[in-house]
Amino acid sequence: MSASKRSTIIVEHLRRQQMWDLIAVGKRLQGRTIEEMRPLEVELDVIKKANGSAKVKLGDTEVVAGIKVETGEPFEGLENKGALIISAEVLPIASPHIEPGPPDEDTIELARVVDRGIRESEMIDLDKLVLVPGKVVYTIFVDCSIINTDGNLLDATSYAVVSALLSCKLPIFEIQDGKVVDTGKTRDPPLTTIPVSITQVRIGNAIILDPTAEEEACMDARITITTNSESCYAAIQKGYTGSFTVDQIKKAAETARIKGEQVRAKLQELTNKNG
Amino acid sequence: MQELKRKYVIPGDKIVDGNFRPLMNVIRIGNSIISTRIGIAEAGRDGIKVIPLSGVYIPRINDIVIGKIVDRSSLSWDVDINSCFSAHLPAQDVFGRDFSPARDDMNRELATGDLITARIIAFDRTRDPMLTVQDRDLGKIPHGESLRISATRVPRLIGKRGSMIQTIEQATQTRVIIGQNGVVVVTGRNQDGIGLAVKAIKVVEEEAHTSNLTQRIKVLLNVPDTTPAQPQVSPPSSFAGSAEKSAESGDIPEVSPTKSALQSVSNIVQQPASNEQQSQDRGEQEQDESSRRHPEQARPDASKFTDSSHYPSISPSSDATSVASSHSKARSQDDRYRKSEEQRPVAGDTRKTKTPVKGIHDRLQEHGKKEGDNR
Amino acid sequence: MSQTKSLIDKQGKRTDGRTVGQLRNVKISVGVVKNADGSAYIEFGKNKIIVAVYGPREVHPKHMAQPDRCVLRCRYHMSPFSTDTRKNPAPSRREVEISKVMREALEPALMLEDYPRAAIDVYVEVLQADGGSRCAGISAASVALADAGINMRDLVAACAAGKVDDKIVLDINDTEDKEGGADMPVAYTPHLDEVTLLQLDGILTRDQFNQCFDTAVEGCKMVYEIQKQALMQRYFGNETEVKEEIQ
Repeated sequence: MSASKRSTIIVEHLRRQQMWDLIAVGKRLQGRTIEEMRPLEVELDVIKKANGSAKVKLGDTEVVAGIKVETGEPFEGLENKGALIISAEVLPIASPHIEPGPPDEDTIELARVVDRGIRESEMIDLDKLVLVPGKVVYTIFVDCSIINTDGNLLDATSYAVVSALLSCKLPIFEIQDGKVVDTGKTRDPPLTTIPVSITQVRIGNAIILDPTAEEEACMDARITITTNSESCYAAIQKGYTGSFTVDQIKKAAETARIKGEQVRAKLQELTNKNG
Repeated sequence: MQELKRKYVIPGDKIVDGNFRPLMNVIRIGNSIISTRIGIAEAGRDGIKVIPLSGVYIPRINDIVIGKIVDRSSLSWDVDINSCFSAHLPAQDVFGRDFSPARDDMNRELATGDLITARIIAFDRTRDPMLTVQDRDLGKIPHGESLRISATRVPRLIGKRGSMIQTIEQATQTRVIIGQNGVVVVTGRNQDGIGLAVKAIKVVEEEAHTSNLTQRIKVLLNVPDTTPAQPQVSPPSSFAGSAEKSAESGDIPEVSPTKSALQSVSNIVQQPASNEQQSQDRGEQEQDESSRRHPEQARPDASKFTDSSHYPSISPSSDATSVASSHSKARSQDDRYRKSEEQRPVAGDTRKTKTPVKGIHDRLQEHGKKEGDNR
Repeated sequence: MSQTKSLIDKQGKRTDGRTVGQLRNVKISVGVVKNADGSAYIEFGKNKIIVAVYGPREVHPKHMAQPDRCVLRCRYHMSPFSTDTRKNPAPSRREVEISKVMREALEPALMLEDYPRAAIDVYVEVLQADGGSRCAGISAASVALADAGINMRDLVAACAAGKVDDKIVLDINDTEDKEGGADMPVAYTPHLDEVTLLQLDGILTRDQFNQCFDTAVEGCKMVYEIQKQALMQRYFGNETEVKEEIQ
């Protein structure tokens, strides 16, 4: 069951007014324009025990993604594909408004939307990760720990997952004497594309990119759009309690393609990888 | 009392052995005085204390704070004062003793999201802080850019007899309201000036304990290193003067010196005489202003870090100073710095609606009509 | 626990090249989580742990508040990618127990009566674990609490000692923990000379116990020096003397 809730952050009227005044001339607090994303930093291999990992900073929002590769049974109905499980947790260290406990609906939505972008774009060729068809497949766990929140968790988490996958090393398993054995060797994962998520929010009649926590507290509606390396749409999620006009959606979709290209190039540069 | 050098300490560090009186953020263990915080240990005539460099704001009676209305019950507003305790402003304080929820609409005065300057009139270990806005210079803040700094840095931001904050205000042509709780509001006509003032304030917060901070701030603000005493250089004390300046330089389109605007200002401004005169009164006013605006540094051993926070475990000092903020009626921000209201952002649309200037009480009345959000 | 292979070689070097009395590399950074009131990041060998402190702040739900003192809440949690095999994100019984002993290790040093009706939340997040994470967590939590400006009687430093190949060694790592003979984490306040956490896993004779305990306390003192340095560096830039006239 999902219930309406109050905003946790109450933005002062003066600040809100300041925000609106700036948006009216295409600018934002912190000096950005409405089409500008915050600086993106990616640090790879931060968790050596994991098969792949990345720490992403998008402005002050910080996310760590870690990949653990094991073997296990395939999903029902997907007997000839490897298993991919993406989850996310907003850690209580990340903000004064988080209480420890099972993930709430926002966190679950976050994990599922990020998962959808990776899965539907077929970033990983899961067909190549089967050991014994129908019985034993590679299981790739991607877990995200959000360690500081300042808005746009959706994009930051997605970039962390993508960076971790781009840089991870898959252990090579084999079946020997009917048992699964880690050969000790590693290889690059079979990747086909680089999905990039772009989140935009509507404040008044303006659509702005990469909102901070303050801007999210003032938003009317949000849309997250993921594109792949061919600039095709792979996943879309509209969020929050307001609405968009048809034209606004079309414009946002176009922005997502264009910005997606730019961010994709950035991610490739930061991970030294070409999808 | 032996002269002790000021020392940097962390919790658990021994400051001194001997029969000294523990004053603030220190405890006696055996024969030693131990620090309980990260800060600067000082020995004074009265005893030993540690001036903390970190820590959330703990409310004190008579502190002037800037708070944000976050909720309300039927009889009071809940106010976020950037502390571990939520404060309350009773509706009776604003409406009077005969306040009746049935007849008086609290939202018309103050709504969620408003910023207020208030004084803490009650607080102890058993109850949440209670506020009042009844004094002069208190009430809703209609304009300005707000920021939060650590409450432990407030004394440094104010400076000796207000010197630091005045330097910033004069150099950037702004007015700064400082709450003891670390909330600061900067108002001014010039957006660049406000931006520069905000930047300077953040530098002071970051480097509060370092030496030569005043020099560096002056460099940041492009201020010559002699104390400016000329009255003419001071920020606009008369709306007329500043309006003309704006017309010449053609900066902010919203402040247009139309006749009607000037007239409405002169109707509202409480002390038009002192406002119009620049030179003679300026010097005195500055003096009065600063003493009203900033906490007195009355104690004999006042240092760069005035004792700014007391904690419930130590009995409050008897000379808790009453602090006035710079929210002076004679210089109400809204009198001089107009801002358009009711603007919905439309990309590319830079027209602004102009609304007449209002005095503080008018604004309080009007607030109910403003299209605020309901989140 | 019986051992099948030697964990200390003939030259006295352990599996990671240390001697029996050597602490792993410890690095502490202060103020790493922007939203928190106080925070610290610690690398203790291969352990990577972030601690954030929020408080004092209002207690929710209100009925949990105590009238005359602060409520201290502590949560120890491991990210799923932090261990050799992936860990389920839901809190395990081990995490629940460690949360409790950590809280009980920190409480004696905090002056909770200074903050009635408030709460202090300490969140310890393990991003990578390699033996001794609870000690590393407690050490980082003390630093984060000081960073948050909570009144403390002293810092709490923690370190473990153990028995490996029948020798008492300082600061056991993950391999030594799994395959060694005993593991004894200790938390200690260096100025007050008080022990606030003590656990034992394994078999020790009386002499071994005394030696192991002393070794762990010595380790705590070493950790304290690193905590102090991190705080001084962050706040005072390594100056110990207050500079002359500040304008």
